[in-house]
Amino acid sequence: MRPIVRLALSLIIAVSAQSAALAKAPLVFAAASLQESLNAVADAWAAKHHDRPTISFAASSSLAKQIDAGAPADIFISADEPWMDDVQKNGLVAPGTRVSFLANTLVLVAPAGGTDKMVIKPGFPLAKALGDGKLAMADPDSVPAGKYGKAALTALGVWPQVQGQVVRGDSVRAALAFVERGEAPYGIVYATDAFASKKVRIVGVFPSSSHAPITYPIARLSAASSPDAEGFRLFVISKEGRAIFRKFGFLAHFPNAI
Amino acid sequence: MLLTPEEWGIVRLSLKVTIVAVALATPVAFGLAYLLARARFPGKVLVDALVHLPLVLPPVVTGWLLLIGFGVKGPIGGLLHDWFGLTLIFRWTGAALAAAIMALPLMVRAMRLSIEAVDRRLEGAARTLGASRRRVFFTITVPLALPGVLAGAVLGFARSIGEFGATITFVSNIPEETETLPIAIYAALQVPGSEGIVTRLAIISVVLSLGALVSSEILSRRAGAGRGQHVL
Repeated sequence: MRPIVRLALSLIIAVSAQSAALAKAPLVFAAASLQESLNAVADAWAAKHHDRPTISFAASSSLAKQIDAGAPADIFISADEPWMDDVQKNGLVAPGTRVSFLANTLVLVAPAGGTDKMVIKPGFPLAKALGDGKLAMADPDSVPAGKYGKAALTALGVWPQVQGQVVRGDSVRAALAFVERGEAPYGIVYATDAFASKKVRIVGVFPSSSHAPITYPIARLSAASSPDAEGFRLFVISKEGRAIFRKFGFLAHFPNAI
Repeated sequence: MLLTPEEWGIVRLSLKVTIVAVALATPVAFGLAYLLARARFPGKVLVDALVHLPLVLPPVVTGWLLLIGFGVKGPIGGLLHDWFGLTLIFRWTGAALAAAIMALPLMVRAMRLSIEAVDRRLEGAARTLGASRRRVFFTITVPLALPGVLAGAVLGFARSIGEFGATITFVSNIPEETETLPIAIYAALQVPGSEGIVTRLAIISVVLSLGALVSSEILSRRAGAGRGQHVL
């Protein structure tokens, strides 16, 4: 065999071996707000001599749409229940694998450096604080963080006054980034996003009565092909897994038995 | 086809952003095209490469550079804000700036070809007959290059109306301010049961882009008549 042919063949074999190895690790679709915490969980899992799962972070809405369209994901973790409902309605969730395992809180953030605080209550003076600045939040029509934010502001009677100043990020992290850069004086993100960033500070916490509970459901998808998928799902919701999430500011959530 | 008032607003905003972007970019593109076609100067290769950069750079990088440069906290955006009270970030004017920058390389390419195709002997003849440089430029060079310049502008229009990556990174998505056609389509895609809106806006995008491409091609054929040159 000529050396060049041999080289080509060994490359093909190496690449196909590589892709076989990749195919074994689960592909996880996860809400953007889980970026740091879920990566830490995946590291802990990999430290137990498993293949590290491949994780795709985006807005839950985008991910649900992609799963509905047949994306070959093994596990889906959504930042709200409706998007998991959407996937489940399409018959794509493996029966009995859906668990709401995390909870989060909604906060008002501002760029680090200032000192003002706000008590978030009905009619709180958000519009006055904004002036002609923008309020960064995830898209209030589709992305969970934005939907919770809109619901909370509506319940508090503030939405009509600030509606026109909302900058819609395509995920909660896009909204966070605008506040981090100081381009938006205020933003609405999850408490965990505020913890993850050194460039923002929490101005106020939204009362949990102002919006539906923020819970994160996880489920194995019926199209899952990775043999490790169920193992990783169980690890994520295990005591050990939840302990890691707690370090990133999440609250454990036990509405249904595991 | 029936659009809701909201959807018409999106189309109108897109056209406004695009027309301002093209109006902004056309003189700049023509100047650069003339420089690159006619002038010889040190660093020409670098200028050429810089002009083409937005064509090959990931649009999100262009958007991010705009964000850190032209945001209110950015060096250029800060000056514009403090001196002229001009804010680009989160405004439709910022969307127009992003679209103009993304369209510039294609416009320069088209215009440069048409300027290079101008027969310099005609300019020489006009000079020997006593015309000033200025007169030669406005009565010989510009009219002969005009179809190519228009083709470039129309191509820029087609590129601008589809601009997404740099725009959403720089000015985000604000209804009635920066929510142009592609951004509205992207946002609608995230909402269940929005196939109707997506389909209607997508059809408008296809029609506008196709119309612009066809007119650009016709104009550039005219520009390169007999020379067989095309912009695309």
